[in-house]
Amino acid sequence: MGSVTRRSVLRGSLGLVAAGALGCPYIANAAATTATVWWTQGFVPDEDAAFRKLVADYEKASGNKLDYSIVPFAPLRQKEVSAVTSGVVPDVMEDADLEFAALTAWQDQLLDLSDVVETQKSRYSEIALLSRQLYDNRTKERHFYGVPMKTFATPFHIWGDLIEKAGFKTSDIPNTWDKFIDFFVPVQKELQAKGMRHTYASGFVVSTIGVDPINTFNAFVTAYGGDGIVTRDGKLHSEDPKVREAVIQALTRLAKFFKDGHIPPGSVNWNDADDNNAFHSKLCVMDFDGSLSTELAMINDKQAYDHDMLTHPLPMSNDGKQLPAQTGVFGAVIPKGAKNVEVGKDFLKFAIQPQVLNEYLKGGLGRWAIPMPSVAKEDPWWLDPKDPHRMTHTQMALFGPTIPWYEAYSPAIAQVNAEHVFQVAWGDIVNGGMAPDKAADKAFKRAEAIFAKYPIRQS
Amino acid sequence: MDASQVLDGNRSLARRARSRMFRGSLQGSEYTWALAFVIPYIAIFLIFVIYPVVYGLWLGSDPASYVELFDDPIYQTTIINTALYLAIGVNVKMFLALLLSGFFMRRGWWVKALLMIYVLPWAVPQLPVFISIHWMLNGDYGLLNNLLFELFGIEGPSWLDSHWLALGSVILAYIWKWMPFWTVILLAGRMAIPQEIHEAAKIDGATGIRSFVHVSFPLLANLYLVCTLLSTIFTVGDFNTATFVSGGGPAFSTFTLATLGIRDAFDLAQPRVGVAAVMTALPLVVPLVIILMRKLRTAEVQL
Amino acid sequence: MTAVVAEGRLAPARDTSQTMRRIARRRRFIGNTFAGLLGAVLIIWTLIPIYNIVMVSLESHSDVFSNVIWPQHPSLDGFWLVLTQGYWYLEFFWHQYGNSIYLGAAVTILTLVISSLTSFSIGRMRIRHGWLITNAALLTYVIPQSFLAIPFYRIMQAYGLTDNIWAVIAALVTFATPYAIFIFHNYAAAIPMELDESARIDGATPFQIYYKIYLPLMMPALVAVGTYALLLAWNEYLYQFLLLSSKQSMTVPVALAQFLNSDEAPWNYMMATAIIYALPPVLVYYGFRRRMAAGLTMGGVKG
Repeated sequence: MGSVTRRSVLRGSLGLVAAGALGCPYIANAAATTATVWWTQGFVPDEDAAFRKLVADYEKASGNKLDYSIVPFAPLRQKEVSAVTSGVVPDVMEDADLEFAALTAWQDQLLDLSDVVETQKSRYSEIALLSRQLYDNRTKERHFYGVPMKTFATPFHIWGDLIEKAGFKTSDIPNTWDKFIDFFVPVQKELQAKGMRHTYASGFVVSTIGVDPINTFNAFVTAYGGDGIVTRDGKLHSEDPKVREAVIQALTRLAKFFKDGHIPPGSVNWNDADDNNAFHSKLCVMDFDGSLSTELAMINDKQAYDHDMLTHPLPMSNDGKQLPAQTGVFGAVIPKGAKNVEVGKDFLKFAIQPQVLNEYLKGGLGRWAIPMPSVAKEDPWWLDPKDPHRMTHTQMALFGPTIPWYEAYSPAIAQVNAEHVFQVAWGDIVNGGMAPDKAADKAFKRAEAIFAKYPIRQS
Repeated sequence: MDASQVLDGNRSLARRARSRMFRGSLQGSEYTWALAFVIPYIAIFLIFVIYPVVYGLWLGSDPASYVELFDDPIYQTTIINTALYLAIGVNVKMFLALLLSGFFMRRGWWVKALLMIYVLPWAVPQLPVFISIHWMLNGDYGLLNNLLFELFGIEGPSWLDSHWLALGSVILAYIWKWMPFWTVILLAGRMAIPQEIHEAAKIDGATGIRSFVHVSFPLLANLYLVCTLLSTIFTVGDFNTATFVSGGGPAFSTFTLATLGIRDAFDLAQPRVGVAAVMTALPLVVPLVIILMRKLRTAEVQL
Repeated sequence: MTAVVAEGRLAPARDTSQTMRRIARRRRFIGNTFAGLLGAVLIIWTLIPIYNIVMVSLESHSDVFSNVIWPQHPSLDGFWLVLTQGYWYLEFFWHQYGNSIYLGAAVTILTLVISSLTSFSIGRMRIRHGWLITNAALLTYVIPQSFLAIPFYRIMQAYGLTDNIWAVIAALVTFATPYAIFIFHNYAAAIPMELDESARIDGATPFQIYYKIYLPLMMPALVAVGTYALLLAWNEYLYQFLLLSSKQSMTVPVALAQFLNSDEAPWNYMMATAIIYALPPVLVYYGFRRRMAAGLTMGGVKG
C-alpha cells in the first residue's frame, strides 16, 4: 500500500477528525430495527471485507441490524430489476451499473434521498452531485435519487516493460491524443518482429457488449471536441456540427485502427472481462478501462504492480487542451415500497460520513476513489506518490476537469448505451463497408428516436 | 403368468372393455385412487403455474412494448437468427440424437464407457462450459486454432468474428451441450421396444439400417416428434448460449429473441419489453403446443 | 433375402449356411469398424471443449490466453483450493455443495413421484378429463422459464417463501413435471394395457399396479427423466440467486457466477470448481444406468 510516515498519518487523521467535527456529524438514533441491504460484490475480497466492517460499525453505533446480501453485479442487476418490477424490494440497493438508477428514477421507482445527501452536500465533488440528480418522469423534477459513494475515472493502462522490450522509452510517450495512440503502433511492429505474434498495440474494446466500448467511444468523441453531445438539460445535440464531426472522426479513427490490425480482431466480441484478460496476458500493450481494477488484479505480482504497469491519465487533445475525464459515480438507492426506509436512510447517512466512507473505500484497496475531494486531499493515502496508480486515478477523478457519464443528464442515453447504438455504427463501417458519415447519421437517427421517448421538462 | 393365462385374461378383458364403454371409465375406489394420484400435480398447477403465467402474460400485454420492440433496429436480425437457430439447431440435434441413441444400444463395455463420456456436456454447468467454448474459439489464443496450427499448420479463422461463422459456432455449441440429453431420452425410448420385435425382424433379414427404418423408427416416431416440439419450445427461451459463446456479436448479429428479451428486461430495466420479445415467438409456439396436445391425446403406439 | 443373393455370386458353390455365416461376420466387421470410427469421432467432439476446461483448470493464469495446446506448467492448485475452500469466492463451497445436493435430490424425487403418479392416473387408469390436465400443463411452457423469473419472485413473496430453498424447489418442480409427464406418457404407450388389466382382475389395487408393474417397466424412462430433473436443479442458477439471498442458502452455480463478477478472475479455480461440480450427476447416472436394462420382453413380468 505504500509507506507513509507517522507524522503524515497523524496529520491526516487529525485533519479528518477536525473536518468530521465541523461538517455535521451524524448521530445514529433511529429505532432498533432490521433493514435489508443488497450490495455489489467487490473485485477483491478486501472490498467485501470493508463492506462487512462498515455494516458492523453501523450496527454497533446505531443498534439496528442490517440483513445484507453481497451479490455479483450482473445477477444483482437482474435481482434489482425483478425487485422493482414485482414490488418486492429491499430497503437499500447499491447500483449494479450506471444505467439502473437513471432508468428507475425516470420510472418513478426510487425514493428521493435529498435529505440524506444534504448531510454531506458540501463535501461532495460537483460531479458526484450532478450524477445523482436524476429526473423523475412522473413528478417531472430532478431530485437526488441516489447517494454518491464511489467514483471512478478511466485511465490508460500500459505495459512499460513491453515498451522497453520494443526498444522505446516510456518517457517518450507523447501527450496529445492522436500521437499518443499512434505511439503504440511501432511498438507493436517491433514486438511482432521479435516473435510475439499475437501482440497488439491496444486493447480498445469495439464490441457491442458491456460498458467498455461505450467508455472508449465517449473518450474518443471527447478527445475530438464532441463532449457536448448530451448536455445538462438532457438534450442530444446531434445537430451540432462540432458534435457530428467529432463522432464521425471517432468512428473513423477506431475503424481504421482496427482495420490496420492494431486492435485484436477478437475485440469485436469482447465483454468487459476479455480486454482485462488480454491485457494481463500481454496480448496488448495498452488498454483503456475504468477504475483501478486492471492494476489491482495484479496487486500480488510485485514486479507487475510496482514496475511494469503504468497508469496513464488522458493525454491532451490534439490542439493541446486538457481533456475532461468522464467520471462515473456509483452509489446506493432506496426503492419505493421499501419496508424500513428509516433505517435505510440512517445507514446511508452513517455510511457517507467522510471518515467512514474513506475507511470503507480504503479498505477496498482504492479501486474506487472517494467522491469527496477534501478528504482525498487531507488523507495522504490517496495521492501518495509511492503508488502512482492510485495517485493518477484519484487525480483524474477528482482534481482534473471532469464530465459526468451522460446518464446523469438523461436516462435516454442509458438506452442508447444498452443498445450500443454507436458501436453498431462502428460495426457498420468495419463489417458493412458503410461510409463513416452515413453510419454516424444512422446512429444519430436511432439515438434521436430514443431521446424522443424521454422528454425532459426544463425547470 | 404364461400364455394361456394371458389369453384367458384377454377374453375376460374384452368383455369388461365392452361393459366399460357403456358405464364410463373408473368405478368407486379406483376413481378415488386415480384422483389421489393427480391431486399433487393439480395442486402444483393451481399454486405455481396459474398466477406466474397469467402475470407473465400481463407483463407482455402492453402494446407499447411491441411498438418499442419493432422499432429496435436489431429486431429483424434477431427473428431471422432465432428461426435459423430453431430450424437448424433443434432438428440437427434431434436427428443426430436419434441416430446416436441407436448406436448406444450396442453391446460392449466400451459403448457403456463412451456413454459416460458422452453425457459430460450435459452434466457440466452452462456458464463455465460456454465461456470455455468462447475462449476456445477465439482467433488469437483459442484452443481450436492452436490445435489447427500445431497439428496441421493452418491458421484458423476468427470463429466468432463474422456473422455466419459466429452463428454457426453458437448453434454448434448448443448442439454439443444438449444432444446428450436428448440422446438419453431417445435411448430410453428405444429400450421400451421389446427385444422380440428386433429378433423377429432379424430373422426376416432386416438388420442395420433396414431394421432402423422399418422397425425402430415407427415406434420412436411419436416420441421423436414430442421431443422435437418440446425442444423447440425450450430453445425459444435459451439465452445463455448466445450470450456466453459469442456475446451476441459481432454487432448483435447472433442475438436471438431470448437474448434480446433478457437484454431489454434487465439492461434496459424494461421487463415488459423483454417479455414482449419472447411473446413474439408465440405465433410459432402456440401451433407447436396445439400439435403436442393432439399427439398426446392419441399416444397409442401399435405394436 | 436379396443380400444373400448378391453375395451368393462371390461365394463358391458350398453350404448356404457357411456363406451366411461369412456374410454375417463381414457385416459384423463393417458394423464394428463403423462403430469404432463413430466412437472416435464422438470422443473428439465431446472432449475438445471439456479438454479446454481441464486445461484451464490446470494452467497458471498467464498461460490461459496463450497459444499452447498442453498446459505448460500444470498444477493441481486449482483443485486443491476448491476442495479446501481456499479462495474467497469458494468460502462456502462445501456448504453450497450440500445445498445443491439437497436441492437436486428434492427436485428429482418430487418430480419423479408427482409426474409418474399423474401419468399413471391419466395414461393407464384413464381418469375422466385427464387430457385436460396434460393440456393445462403445457401452459407452463408458453412463456420461457427465464422470463417467468420475475412473476415467480413475486408469488414467492406472497406465499411467504422468500429466501427459502423450497421456493426454488417448487419452481423447478413446476418446470420439470410437465415435461416428465409427457415423456412418461409416450414411453408407457409401448407397455400393453393387458398387464394392468390382468393385475386388476387378480385383485391388485391401483397403487399395487403402479408400484409393482408400472414403475419397474418404466425404469429406463425414470432414469432418463430423473437425470434430467437432477441436472435441471443442479445447474440452474437464475432462480436460485433470484429467490435466495443469503450466502448460506446459495448453491454452487451461484458461486460459479461470482467468477464473472470481476473483469479478472482466477479462471483456473472457476474451471476446477466446474469439473468437481459436474462429476456427481455423471456418477449418479452411471449408478442408475444399470437399471436401464434393455430388452423388456412381453409377458416376462413377474405377476
